[in-house]
Amino acid sequence: MAAQAPPFMAAPEVLIERLNRGVRKRNARWSFVRDQAFGDALTLRRFRLGNGLTVLTLVDRSAPTVSYHTWFRVGSRHERPGKTGLAHLFEHLMFGTTRNHPHGDFDRLMERAGAEANAATWTDWTCYYENAPRDALPLLIELEADRMSNLVLRVPQVNSEKEVVANERKLRVDDDVEGKALELLYDKAFRHHPYRWPTIGSMQDIRGFTVRDCQEFYRTHYAPSNATVVIAGDFSEHKALSLVQKRYGSISAAPAAKIRKSPKEPSQRAERVFQLSAPTPTEKLLVGYHAPAFSDPDTPALVIANDVLFGGLSSRLHRLFCLDEEIALSVRGSISPFIDPGLFEMWIFLREGKRTEDALALLDRGIAGVGSAGPSPLELEKAISQLELSFLHSMETAGGKAEQIGFYETVANDGAAVFERLAAYRNVTGDAVQRAVTKYLRPSRRTRVEILRNLS
Amino acid sequence: MSIFVESSDVLPLVDLEIALPVGSLQDPAGQEGLAQLTGHLMRRGPRGLSQARFEDRLASLGSRVSVEVSMRSTRIRATVLRRNLGPLLGLLADMVWQPALRASDFVKLKRRAQAALVARLDDDQTLGAVCFREALFGDHPYGRALGGHADSLGRIGVQQVGDFYERHIAKGSFLIGAAGDVTESEVRSLIASHFPRSRRAKRNGSDVPATRVRRGRHVVIVDKPERTQTQLFIGTLGARTRDRNLFPLIVSNTAFGGTFSGPLMQQVRGVRGWSYGAYSRLLHSTQRDAWYMSTAPSAEYSADCAALQLDLLEQWVERGTKKADLRFAQRYLINSHCFDRDTPSKRLESRLDVELLDIPRSYVDKYDGLIARVTREQANDATRARISPRDLIIVVVATASEVARSFERLPGVRSLEVVPFDRN
Repeated sequence: MAAQAPPFMAAPEVLIERLNRGVRKRNARWSFVRDQAFGDALTLRRFRLGNGLTVLTLVDRSAPTVSYHTWFRVGSRHERPGKTGLAHLFEHLMFGTTRNHPHGDFDRLMERAGAEANAATWTDWTCYYENAPRDALPLLIELEADRMSNLVLRVPQVNSEKEVVANERKLRVDDDVEGKALELLYDKAFRHHPYRWPTIGSMQDIRGFTVRDCQEFYRTHYAPSNATVVIAGDFSEHKALSLVQKRYGSISAAPAAKIRKSPKEPSQRAERVFQLSAPTPTEKLLVGYHAPAFSDPDTPALVIANDVLFGGLSSRLHRLFCLDEEIALSVRGSISPFIDPGLFEMWIFLREGKRTEDALALLDRGIAGVGSAGPSPLELEKAISQLELSFLHSMETAGGKAEQIGFYETVANDGAAVFERLAAYRNVTGDAVQRAVTKYLRPSRRTRVEILRNLS
Repeated sequence: MSIFVESSDVLPLVDLEIALPVGSLQDPAGQEGLAQLTGHLMRRGPRGLSQARFEDRLASLGSRVSVEVSMRSTRIRATVLRRNLGPLLGLLADMVWQPALRASDFVKLKRRAQAALVARLDDDQTLGAVCFREALFGDHPYGRALGGHADSLGRIGVQQVGDFYERHIAKGSFLIGAAGDVTESEVRSLIASHFPRSRRAKRNGSDVPATRVRRGRHVVIVDKPERTQTQLFIGTLGARTRDRNLFPLIVSNTAFGGTFSGPLMQQVRGVRGWSYGAYSRLLHSTQRDAWYMSTAPSAEYSADCAALQLDLLEQWVERGTKKADLRFAQRYLINSHCFDRDTPSKRLESRLDVELLDIPRSYVDKYDGLIARVTREQANDATRARISPRDLIIVVVATASEVARSFERLPGVRSLEVVPFDRN
């Protein structure tokens, strides 16, 4: 459905005609793709530059801020054994030297402008973002365009950043019980798909990266056609697109990266069980069931099931574990939002002296309850209300909106699909939840990690 | 009635807050954790509703409610779908002014609080932060752990919670705030029908004695097995909220360790790659609160990192901040200030802070001017007046056998204490 543009926005065809006037270079010419309603009041517009860069704009004048996101379709799944963690290390290196800016300039200029600049890498994508006062937008465009094509990779920076990442790994994995257990879970639950290795990479691989590895990665994945820019907040669409054209228009349209298709993970037919001994005062149970991909039609029902089981203080498993039986301090569940099928992760944080086998019996009882009778109408109502609340909170700031758009564009191929997802939650029935639980939450489909204490 | 409203119809969402000027500073000696237990027992719901039914009602309204207890305040925060604002306000008022405070709930809550203390042992950063405050403030109330400790929780019964509630909450003053898709007249009308007459929040806190600097450099190692990495906290006393040095110190600290571009981050992470993060923080309260640096270096070079930080600290205090760096910090603070007020709930929060925490209104209303007016001389004088590199608490969460010797050798160290990570 085409959206009605707010009065302060020019018609896209007029905008494009103005922007392309006198522009001869093919890479720098804009085309308008479409616009979509983004809720009741806003319009999401999709443009494409001649070199393949997709730009999504969302003008929202509710605060004098702007958010600029650049999502690359490259994550740890695009690595190979022996080179795990390269996508994440590369994310760090993107804050370094370019042909136009010396080391440290990126952060200095951003901070001086009052911008918060950061990045994140996961299995399917890498995202760079800035949240800034609205006047800083030209700077954001200049610096992001510059590092997309002018990054300089040298030994001192690569070595220093490898040390930082090694420290980050110690912080998040080696000395962290949860991080260590999650790494083990994915390693054991997947045997073929690259989701099996950790995004941060193995310590050995991190230590072994060379400048050449990084240069090759840059050439392969950091091209305009592999990226989506999202601009959300208080800005002039014409000025922003004009600046993007000026800064990115000179970047050549690199041939599409030759990405190998990830192997399909075969169905798991028997439960896998592993133990992890750690210096922790309490035992913990981590269970991962193979779950559908983020865009799979079954996922909304499974998300509702997650809320029924784990969503807040009124959920079934919180009551069972934390209030009635008092064997756990907290419980947590989530479904990995991946392009390919991931895991439904469940955490049980036990109290001192309580054992993982007791937790497993209770977990099975809780899941079986939803599988046999489905959720009650009250539980469905609660889950949908809570998901609506979370959705609204994610839309509070320009940064929140840009993040949702970038994520849905990259993982579900539609930046405005967040609204469809909310509608899908509202349409989930109790029967659908029951079917999803029965189909996906079977013991034979799960891998479990029992975290045992090794303290005397 | 003290009602604060920040209206915005951008999203069909409303945030509510009931703020009370009571916190862990009101915990009686030996009963640390009482304020927090009281807040959390209230959260279990009002009379006439079981906890389970209360939670069902909150969830089905599309709302979330939390009770956060700090040193000087208890803040009951709720967020709700706009269409359910009225029913949520009713539930919230009942929760605060007609709490069930059931003995059966209390017994479970206390067991949960004790279990939370045990679970905290997994979190090295929290272990370090708690130990740092205890070592810095000693017996002063600022050194108290909000959640208490095993012994103090053992001394608290439901009777003490009931008494604390009656004295500080039922008869105490409070403020109400609402932010989001609601008008002031709507809020006033809804509150009048659900809430007792508001008593203006009393600005307390001056009854807390002055905090005192412990002379010399003192190392505390929180000994935990199998640490490949350490959590390092180095700090001393900082400033009071109403300190004339506060704004100069905010600017100076930002130039030193408040940004990614500052010397602390650049030297520790940028040049050496020694820690994922490296920041300094300045806290302020009615008495001088903490100033500290935090990093997370590998065990193998943790003491080297500490030595580097001590060197940077001395340079900062003795040589002062360069004009260009100070100007950079000022621009950063002023330009990024828009993110302290880009949502209605953030704007509400700063207004409630002013009322509740004895923060001068000008700190919010004239923030940009107060930052911009700081001169290099003021910033450097404030740093020298408030930050003493000779008097430092150095806390490191590490495997003691691997780091003790190297930390002992740090310059100026007068004492080194090793405490087991699970001592409480």
